[in-house]
Amino acid sequence: MNRNIDRRHFMALMGAGAAAPLLARHASAAAPLTMQAAWINDAEFTGYFTAIDNGYYKDEGLDLTYLSGGPDLIPESSIIAGKADLALTTPDTTIKAIVDQGAKFKIIGAQYQKNPHGIISLAKNPIHSPKELVGKTLAVPPVNVISVEVMLRANGIEPSQVNIVPYAYDPTPLIKGEIDASLDFTTNVPFTIKQQSAEAVSFLLYDFGYTIFNDAIVVTDDTLAAKRKELVAWLKASRKGWEENLRDPSVYPPKFADTWFKGTGRSIENEVYFNTAQKPLIESPKGILSLTEDSIAKTIDALSKAGIKARRDMFDTTLLEEV
Amino acid sequence: MADAVDGSLADGGRRGWAIRHWAGLRNGVVILVVWEFLGRFGLVAGGALPAPSAILARFWLDRGDYPEHVVATLWGASAGFLIGNAIAVLAGMLFVLSPVASRLSRGINIAIFSVPSIAISPILVLTLSGMAPRIVLAAISCYFVTMTATVIGLTQIDQRTADVIRAYGGGRWKVMRLVRLRSAMPVILGGLQVAAPNAVLGAILAEFGGGGRWGLGNYLLGSLGRADPARLWGIGLVATAIAGLAYLVFALISQRVTGASRAVTVTTSVPPLRAAGGDNTVAKVLLVAGSIALPLILWWVFVKALGVPELIARTPYGVFEHLFLLDSSPAARAKLLQALAQTLPITLVGMAAGLAAAFLLAVSSRLYPGVTRAFMPIALFTQTMPLIATIPLLVLLLGRGWSVTLWITISVTFFPAFITLAQGISMVPRAALDVPRAYGASAWKEMRLVSIPASLPYLFAATRLTVPRALLGVMIAEWLATGKGLGNLLNQSRGYLDYGMIWTVATVSVLVSIAFYQLVVVAERRVLGRLGMQTAE
Repeated sequence: MNRNIDRRHFMALMGAGAAAPLLARHASAAAPLTMQAAWINDAEFTGYFTAIDNGYYKDEGLDLTYLSGGPDLIPESSIIAGKADLALTTPDTTIKAIVDQGAKFKIIGAQYQKNPHGIISLAKNPIHSPKELVGKTLAVPPVNVISVEVMLRANGIEPSQVNIVPYAYDPTPLIKGEIDASLDFTTNVPFTIKQQSAEAVSFLLYDFGYTIFNDAIVVTDDTLAAKRKELVAWLKASRKGWEENLRDPSVYPPKFADTWFKGTGRSIENEVYFNTAQKPLIESPKGILSLTEDSIAKTIDALSKAGIKARRDMFDTTLLEEV
Repeated sequence: MADAVDGSLADGGRRGWAIRHWAGLRNGVVILVVWEFLGRFGLVAGGALPAPSAILARFWLDRGDYPEHVVATLWGASAGFLIGNAIAVLAGMLFVLSPVASRLSRGINIAIFSVPSIAISPILVLTLSGMAPRIVLAAISCYFVTMTATVIGLTQIDQRTADVIRAYGGGRWKVMRLVRLRSAMPVILGGLQVAAPNAVLGAILAEFGGGGRWGLGNYLLGSLGRADPARLWGIGLVATAIAGLAYLVFALISQRVTGASRAVTVTTSVPPLRAAGGDNTVAKVLLVAGSIALPLILWWVFVKALGVPELIARTPYGVFEHLFLLDSSPAARAKLLQALAQTLPITLVGMAAGLAAAFLLAVSSRLYPGVTRAFMPIALFTQTMPLIATIPLLVLLLGRGWSVTLWITISVTFFPAFITLAQGISMVPRAALDVPRAYGASAWKEMRLVSIPASLPYLFAATRLTVPRALLGVMIAEWLATGKGLGNLLNQSRGYLDYGMIWTVATVSVLVSIAFYQLVVVAERRVLGRLGMQTAE
């Protein structure tokens, strides 16, 4: 008897959870599509917020549901479980899942042509290159340790030569000098450090051999087959949103102060800084969200150094060609 | 007549209340002033400890952000509280009515009691969506406390009232409805009192990891990147206030209800609940096997009923396969064993340290009540403040080695153990205390010769409480500060999309907790049996 009550509640809750985001949006004849973001609402996703608020998805016949992310949330899990149609992911974990677990994923685009992850240190104790990390204490979120180890090895450094400790997304230990450097988005943390009247220096992993893009746009093979038209429409509307947003990176974040960015605990100045800093990492001569042959080759090459065997057929550039 | 007695007691009680609260207030003010001084002049960890006034100022600036987060947290916590406690009370009634059900559910109960919340949170986020992970974690955090309280409440009845019902031909159900439930109300309410803050903390933990926009956990996560300790402490203190308020509300309700349904005489012994299966060995073995199988069956049903794809979800067999049958199994086992080798020793040390701290505090609370009273506000605070908000401070003060792990472990273990021990020491029969007093023994001698040995059952009960929390504390420290052991393996497996390992770490951490718990139970039965003492709940 207990179990039945238990299950019924679960089911009811599942239903409520799934319906809540839909109710918030006006029901329409448009094709439903759900995207899973990689992190909480911050400037990293401004292009999508712009496209939603300006009706670009609706213009393409889409009814988009946007799901925020968080530290325990694995974006790939949402598309495997069918909670979302597409997810923004870190390509190393996605490709590792294809190789190791036989996950049926395709990467159909990339938001960051250059991965914003970098090593951040204080200007008064600066670290400008991987070599200078030897003997230092570096805080890395446990999920990103693999990327850092690859970058270190690519520069002839054994990971054991660096004291790697967990990073809990709070720069206080860096500012107070408890750690020498941290791995974080270079588009974001230097702002916080400046706010605390310190100066930051940083370098991108990308510029030291870890040449992967980031925020890969990932779908399952099934979704690709069933919703190809919608995915192309999504790419088109998203590109338009990003172009509009990056035209002047200081325009859109303030508009979202009381909507998308409300209550995130971050400041709008921070989002403007982030949005401005990410512009050169996102823009591409082939158009925003592009997957160029060059970037695919570089990603495959970088991952092979990590022992992850990426292949060209894990990427599908044909949807972008239709945009 | 009863009124008169009550009246005079209440009068004395009120004066005692005033004195106690005056001391509490005075100590609170002293702590605040010292804290303000330390924070103002940046004396702790280079200013990583914010002054109360700075926290308040920050809170005022952020006041517009709070309402929606607080509402979301309250929503998740309340739904979990209602569901978890409803199941707990029903389960408690079932266990009292049917000893067989009680025996069969032992495995589930211990598993729910000992599951480290940080190990189960990623699993819930994987398998459920929307508000569900928060509600389930809040419900799980409530279940054991209330279930135990219900069982104790329903069994500690005045046998004479039950006899009256039986004499008039009433069955088990009639006794349950007319006697047991009524007399159990105060104890159940006491359980709810402890369950309420648990639900709040459970909901916040699941918010922290699980995506979504609203909830204090989400707010905390967004604020971490701002390097603003005043904000983090503000959120932590609001969480503390909600948990404390929830506790107070049920304390008040409990006081009202208890006033109306207090038994005329108090029963002195707990009727044994161990008759199920009798002396039949086959039945006993079947019951034990059933109690081990039931959690596994429920786990299997949970995964299958939710229809979570196989790639993400693991059944018990899936975890076994991950560890023993696949090509990758030797590597997985090696990783797991390495993590266990790092986690287990420090867990044992942390457990001992937590118990020792609780024991010292309990003893000193008897010898020097003033010291304990001064310490109480800080102790309560450490129980409800989300640890993540204080991690930067702890890391700056203690580094990232053994000391920070020990500190976190002691801070999550000592409090429930202290409460249990203090209760044990206070329940030593007066008559036993009069002997050493009559011979002019010192307070310490009296403690050593009478109170401590007499409260041995409570020491064991405290140890049982401490075991699973010690593992939780170590895993939190590993996850946030040291980057070693099971806590780190769990977090890192997420980055590798290694679902098999996520489920394995969750399973192994529950199994380790259960194993420790059972060891204590066995030792407890042996020792107390030899001394002719009864187990304390």
